[in-house]
Amino acid sequence: MHGVAPALGLASPVISTETPTRPTRTASDEDVRLARACAEGDTGVFEQIYREHGDRMKSMAYNHLGNVSDAEDAVQETFLKVHRAASTYTGEAAFSTWLYRVLINTCYDALRKRQRRIQEAPIDDFITSSRPGRSVDDAKRMTLRKMLAELPEQRRTVFMLFEVEGLSHAEIGQILNISEGNSKWILFATKKQLREQWKRNS
Amino acid sequence: MDSLRYQKTTTGTVETKLMNVTCETFDNLLFEGDAFSMQVAAQHAKRCQACAEKLASWNEISDAAREMRTTWSNDMLWPRIDRAIRAEKRQSRSRLWQIAAALLIFATLGGVAWRAHQKMRAAEFDNAILRASAVDQVEAAEKAHIAAIDRMEKIAEPKLEDASTPLMVSYKEKLILLDDAIAECQTNIDRNRQNAHLRRQLLAIYSEKQRTLQEVLREGNHVSNQ
Repeated sequence: MHGVAPALGLASPVISTETPTRPTRTASDEDVRLARACAEGDTGVFEQIYREHGDRMKSMAYNHLGNVSDAEDAVQETFLKVHRAASTYTGEAAFSTWLYRVLINTCYDALRKRQRRIQEAPIDDFITSSRPGRSVDDAKRMTLRKMLAELPEQRRTVFMLFEVEGLSHAEIGQILNISEGNSKWILFATKKQLREQWKRNS
Repeated sequence: MDSLRYQKTTTGTVETKLMNVTCETFDNLLFEGDAFSMQVAAQHAKRCQACAEKLASWNEISDAAREMRTTWSNDMLWPRIDRAIRAEKRQSRSRLWQIAAALLIFATLGGVAWRAHQKMRAAEFDNAILRASAVDQVEAAEKAHIAAIDRMEKIAEPKLEDASTPLMVSYKEKLILLDDAIAECQTNIDRNRQNAHLRRQLLAIYSEKQRTLQEVLREGNHVSNQ
């Protein structure tokens, strides 16, 4: 992590203290049990996973694919892939992290299959924000969405997972198969780029 | 109590670290991005207008991003996923059955082929034994026949050595020719023991030799009686 800052042209970090606001969960016995049950096709366990992670999965898929129908298809496809590949789950990351990795890869596949970028897909405006008390107006949200659509795949995903979904850099690293420091750097560079555009738009 | 102590410690550290923060190193705090760094950044921004603007737009992006988290309710989605998983389970089960059936058919065909091969080999073995024993019998008969002819030849030999008549000389020449023919035929038979045609030919030559020797003996007796 400290090796990334000089590469950025930043001075050595003044503050080295890091408060773990987003702790990373590693695989537990419960995760292994879930994976086994998924491999056996236990629909009760699949339903439990859907109840626990379905909303976040839908949100992730929606923010990548830009419309409800494709997002729901991606979530369904993810469950089928989990059913097929659960026996290959090694437990090196939490089951939820592995699940999100499958989802993100499914979204990438869908995007490649469609051969069109997110901005070309219709963005549904009827979707409601999950936060009841909204402090940011819709125009700003839409502006940010459009700006994100122009970003490369990986940058957009890192931003979405950290800022929108609230995952930690360690989790993002495991999902995207990059280091934690790299995830942190990508987020910083992305936000810097967005801030320039944001200022111009303002 | 712990949180109060933490707050106190954090505040103390913030003040200490704040003295080291400059506008040039402000980005380092944003890069770190954790709560503590953002707190130090906020403190610095209070004293610096440029950094305050930077921080404001930075936080605005984060606020807008947090509200991008979307959710919707679709009661049909889980039943749809459930059906898809069940269908896939059924498919994979039937695929397993298909594989098992294919393996069974393959094993049965293999077994039948192996058994047929074994039977064929046994039949070939039996035929070979039969052929070998038939040839052995023929050869034994031939040997007995040849031995008999050789004995007769020994008896006729003194008469042929003292060939005094032109007829006896011609018998002698004929027997030399027959011996040459026997040797040639025998060489061919050694190359192909099971050739029945050659064996018949050899038998015919021996028969001819036998007849010739009988005639030699008859003629010899006739001459001595005279």
